[in-house]
Amino acid sequence: MANEGSNTETLAPPEPHMFENRHVDAGQHHPTSYAPSTTGSEAASWTVHGSTGNGIYSNPTYQYDQHPQPPAKSIQDGYNVSSIAGNSSNLGTANVTQDYNAYASYPSSSNPYGYGSMGYSGYHNNYQQQPNHTYSQPVGAYQNTGAPYQPISSFQNTGSYAGSASYSSTYYNPADYQTPGGYQNSGGYGNQATAWNNGSYSSNPYTSYTPDSSVSYSSGAATTSMQYQQQYKQWADYYNQTEVSCAPGTENLSVQSSSALGCPIPAVTSGYATPNSQPPQSYPPFWRQDSSSSAIPSFQPAAVNSGDHDSYWKHGPQSSQIQQTNPIQPNYQSPLDLKSSYDTFQDQQKTVSSQGTNLYLPPPPPLPMPLPSQQVNLSPVQSAQSPEAKRVSKLQIPTNPRIASNLTFGQPKAEKDSSSTGSAPKPVYIAVSLPKPTEKVSSNDAANSILKPGMFPKSLRGYVEKALARCKDDKQMAACQAVMKEMITKATADGTLNTRNWDMEPLFPMPDADVVNKDSSLSSAQDSLLPKYKKSPRRSKSRWEPMPEEKPVDNPMLITNDTVKYSSWVPNAKDRKGLMENKESKEDGLRNTKFSPLLQRMSNKALQRPFKKQRLTDASIVSENGDASSDSDKEQSLTAYYSAAMAFSDTPEERKRRENRSKRFDLQGHRTENNHSRKKHAGPGNLYNRRASALVLSKSFEDGASKAVEDIDWDALTVKGTCQEIEKRYLRLTSAPDPATVRPEEVLEKALVMVQNSQKNYLYKCDQLKSIRQDLTVQRIRNQLTVKVYETHARLTLEFGDLPEYNQCQSQLKTLYAEGIEGSDMEFAAYNLLCVIMHSNNNRDLVSSMASLSREAKKDEAVKHALAVRAAVTSGNYIAFFRLYKAAPNLNTCLMDLYVEKMRYKAVNCMCRSYRPTLPVSYISQVLGFSSGVINGASDERDTDALEECSEWLKAHGGSIITDNNGDTQLDTKVCSISILHTATLVSASTLCMPEPEDAVAHGDANLAVNDFLARAPL
Amino acid sequence: MAYMSMGEAHRRITEYLNRFSDAVSSQDGASFKSLFALSSNSPYLLSLADALNLFQDANRLIKQSDNYSQFADILVPLFRSFQNYRQNNLLEAYNAFEKTANAFIQEFRNWESAWALDALYVIVYDIRVLAEKADKELASSGKSPEKLKGAGSVLMKVFGTLAGKGSKRVGALYVTCQLFKIYFKLGTVHLCRSVIRSIETARIFDFEEFPKRDKVTYMYYTGRLEVFNENFSAADYKLSYALKYCNPQSTANIRMILKHLIPVKLSIGILPKSSLLEKYNLLEYINIVQALRRGDLRLLRRALQDHEDRFLRSGVYLVLEKLELQVYQRLVKKIYIIQKQKDPIRAHQVKLEVIVKALKWLEIDMDVDEVECIMAILIFKNLMKGYFAHKSKVVVLSKQDPFPKFNGKPVNS
Repeated sequence: MANEGSNTETLAPPEPHMFENRHVDAGQHHPTSYAPSTTGSEAASWTVHGSTGNGIYSNPTYQYDQHPQPPAKSIQDGYNVSSIAGNSSNLGTANVTQDYNAYASYPSSSNPYGYGSMGYSGYHNNYQQQPNHTYSQPVGAYQNTGAPYQPISSFQNTGSYAGSASYSSTYYNPADYQTPGGYQNSGGYGNQATAWNNGSYSSNPYTSYTPDSSVSYSSGAATTSMQYQQQYKQWADYYNQTEVSCAPGTENLSVQSSSALGCPIPAVTSGYATPNSQPPQSYPPFWRQDSSSSAIPSFQPAAVNSGDHDSYWKHGPQSSQIQQTNPIQPNYQSPLDLKSSYDTFQDQQKTVSSQGTNLYLPPPPPLPMPLPSQQVNLSPVQSAQSPEAKRVSKLQIPTNPRIASNLTFGQPKAEKDSSSTGSAPKPVYIAVSLPKPTEKVSSNDAANSILKPGMFPKSLRGYVEKALARCKDDKQMAACQAVMKEMITKATADGTLNTRNWDMEPLFPMPDADVVNKDSSLSSAQDSLLPKYKKSPRRSKSRWEPMPEEKPVDNPMLITNDTVKYSSWVPNAKDRKGLMENKESKEDGLRNTKFSPLLQRMSNKALQRPFKKQRLTDASIVSENGDASSDSDKEQSLTAYYSAAMAFSDTPEERKRRENRSKRFDLQGHRTENNHSRKKHAGPGNLYNRRASALVLSKSFEDGASKAVEDIDWDALTVKGTCQEIEKRYLRLTSAPDPATVRPEEVLEKALVMVQNSQKNYLYKCDQLKSIRQDLTVQRIRNQLTVKVYETHARLTLEFGDLPEYNQCQSQLKTLYAEGIEGSDMEFAAYNLLCVIMHSNNNRDLVSSMASLSREAKKDEAVKHALAVRAAVTSGNYIAFFRLYKAAPNLNTCLMDLYVEKMRYKAVNCMCRSYRPTLPVSYISQVLGFSSGVINGASDERDTDALEECSEWLKAHGGSIITDNNGDTQLDTKVCSISILHTATLVSASTLCMPEPEDAVAHGDANLAVNDFLARAPL
Repeated sequence: MAYMSMGEAHRRITEYLNRFSDAVSSQDGASFKSLFALSSNSPYLLSLADALNLFQDANRLIKQSDNYSQFADILVPLFRSFQNYRQNNLLEAYNAFEKTANAFIQEFRNWESAWALDALYVIVYDIRVLAEKADKELASSGKSPEKLKGAGSVLMKVFGTLAGKGSKRVGALYVTCQLFKIYFKLGTVHLCRSVIRSIETARIFDFEEFPKRDKVTYMYYTGRLEVFNENFSAADYKLSYALKYCNPQSTANIRMILKHLIPVKLSIGILPKSSLLEKYNLLEYINIVQALRRGDLRLLRRALQDHEDRFLRSGVYLVLEKLELQVYQRLVKKIYIIQKQKDPIRAHQVKLEVIVKALKWLEIDMDVDEVECIMAILIFKNLMKGYFAHKSKVVVLSKQDPFPKFNGKPVNS
């Protein structure tokens, strides 16, 4: 798969490697950077953090430090960058993802966008640790898998977060900001990336934040370098206005003060603003923090997160802020370097922005009060989008029409009117590069108000769009807007607004851009973009997905749609990438796949509740903030925008539609829910061209909500793979498979051989086998090859002791054998028996699997052995057990291995009860399989070792070992010399205990322990 | 089948419909239930089925009158089911009958009283029987038999409508028992858990108020579950309850109960008389009981081997296998008794080699270590009192009550 390939590539150059390493092991880098800046205590905390997922923080710090010393450290940054940027956009993505892993302890990090947020709502903390270590490389595949495995466990992070907050303050060097030179290099980019990651990660937890970071970033990135500065300033202003407390941040002074943490950089502000689009609740807390840490508690009662989270929240935001700040700055000055990476980022932005925008549109209760903060946010969103738009318009013109035609929801108005503009491709989506002066925002609003859907005929809207489409840059745009505003006002005044045929109206001559206020340039583009985003979902229908447009019952629904859209964007991304780099598209695809589900989930969880219920409260908070920052102009404009949005959502048609939807929602209740969840898996399908049949199916599926998935004619959908690559990473499918990535049977055969002969470690093989299995399943190949693959995998898992995976194989094998496909069914019958006996501890299963053995089966050597083991286990006959253990055929030993501890414990327990007065350790050692040899005699070293091991084991389990009178002078308590030492009375059973396993992990599956995992399997 | 005229067919169908609506309007449960008893093969329904096959337009008749048409959801598929059943299209018959059942449940919910409970019983029973037959048909045509599973979920629905408060609650246990039958057959016994919980935790309804036959069946099945879980005292209680209240006339049922009760009793040290085993044709246990009496390990093993399939199927194999320890105990006890006769003072010291020799006589090939292990286990499980001296390889038995009696308590495991 592309994923793998790209990853490996990234890894190949030494520098990228280092990069990765750093991420994984935060400790490595930090020491240098942070030691000086922080106090001793902090440093200590750092190290701790570093080991866990907290590495995130440390990394940012690290980079901060770098800033102050641009020359020296920039190099390092440089290579970060190089790995990211240099490796084409693809790499960029890959790296980014990795960064994510590393930086954000959040596993979700790989999907900076969706994942983090999701994780937060759902999985929260768990992810952080795991993903970092284990998964960093496999990025795509593992993360998905990882998520399920990890129950919510670790909240350790909170603590670390607090720590991080402090760092940021300390670390922040104002100097950084003032020395732009340092940033210009690619290193700056690297910073950005990381920062971005961090930002997104941190923000993710909050759901609302994610978008922020991405947006801000994107805005910076997308625009050309010239604009950066402007934007930057704007943001700063912006920020100042919105948040008084933040102002110092811009000047970098505040940076050093802990309270200011997040604020210092204007970029941050932007980041924050963006978040608006997402659940506002999380938002307010953020702001408050800035102003004063004490405000934190007020945080998010309504928020999705539980109390634990709150604590997390408090600290988290700060750190995230800091991170954000850094990244952005570099961008401004070195936009060019970053470009390739931008794309990836942009994707993110898109998602984010689309979400944000969507949210606005539907808001159910029109709020009389404009939410200042939200409005503020809007602007960033738009800006973010605009670059996007540009790209789209330039590169992806072909796709646009499709999107446009699909558009239902976004521009209901337009659709309603059957006028020429209609649903036809809307040229409108103007790509405007945005300089972002403060006024811009207002201009946006103005544009919006002009276009306010509820108030003006659609044709007018079309007209406006057309007009704006002509504009080549923002200045022109602004000018156009001004002209149009005038026109419309006039038309309204003389009542021709609704009567005039706007479609026929000649476009006014292009105004002189210079005349017009630059600032007002912003854009209808965004407006139009929004709808686009919405439209895109149509294309993206995946087989299992309900059609998004029809469904959007509710805000949450909308959001899901957005996600879908997001995925639909991918194609665009591909196109774009085509320009940039070949590989990236694939990578993107991968990411997207993951993404959309995440987003959806996130949206479901986070947005649903917060948005609806908390809206008011949030709004009030927000408004407060907004007041603080109040720029009356802006506010007004924002209000206008907002109300426009309201109106938009309030049009009668829209209302009706919503009514219908909610009705449907009521009826379907669960159903929709189900669909959602299913969608999660299906999301990415958009990437691929669906076959018509699939589309039809999806439609019909949606229509008849009650239709079960099984009604689908799978034969028609079965994929025939065309992929010729032997090696392929496993990635859990979340949509219909793409034939281009599925390997046909011959290739799979080769792949199997390759895996069998591979010298690589278990994880690699497991991954490969899983992907082979997936391809088989997808193509519905069930033959001897299938059996062989499963058998190979099952054996492998047994050797490795990976029971969960083994069970999957076993159950598949069972059905495969039951279908009459040949294989080593006896061998596996034996494994199955052993497995049931020793691990499921379920008599019913045992009896039924025994009963299912045929007469011939019982004659099989392996099965006989298994049955004997069973007898030994049920009767507690440890002697027999350990004899069988030594004589086990095939991999029976491996399964028995897993039971040895238990058996020994039982045995010793029994011995303690039955034997008096003493029992020689040598006997125990021999009988319980520690030593193989004779009881007396040998001074063989192996036996000595075994004895020692045995007595250690006994001691560990609470046995008391004494030395009896026969002890010679030779006797050492530590070394039990066999001939002389008879020992060990295990005095009473009551002292026996099973020691706590040393490698115990919170989530109970030691296989998933990050450190352990890494130690065993450095990929 | 004699020739039936069109008019006759028409008459029969309308008669059936009339009976149906009369039964509903008079809430006559007894006659109502006979209208559903598909699998009873009653001549009345068979002739109706013939009539239906002859007179193809029965649906029109149903829709003609309001009296019937309100039950069209029940009747239309029911007729189809009759027809298919008559023609031995069991799969189709089941499918149609499932529709009927679902419609009936709907209707049943609306009836305030539980007058139609009998009819519901019939439906519940028939749907299970039909599903089994349909599965057989499916299996013979090489498809996966899944109808019984489907029937299970229908019954779950039925259970849902009955499990609440009120007079309909009485029927819940019957449905539960049918569910047990399905789940035991399917091997998905774990699905019983929720049903059991709702039966046993319901405070508003005393278990004793359920009909006796249902209670017996219920106790039988839950007793079996306890056997699986090796929860012998509970199993003993439940199965004994079932045995106690089981209709003495239905020997087949008693035999089924005993099949599971005997192993349970054996494992708590209570041996049945051989007359009982003979009376209920439970000869497979005879040798096992013998082995326990004699301490004859070989006999036990042979008996287990001979009837392995049977024991495995009924799920008592593991229980019986555990009797081995008792046999060992018996063996040691015998040795002890013999030693006591010879030398009462030193009788409590049983040499390991003696036991090994005894086992050798039984043609059981075990070496010293293994026997030592068994002795340790015996002591550990409190089947023997005393200790084992490893150095001298001697079992030293307690002078007081070296072989404690079970007193109805299971071996501590």
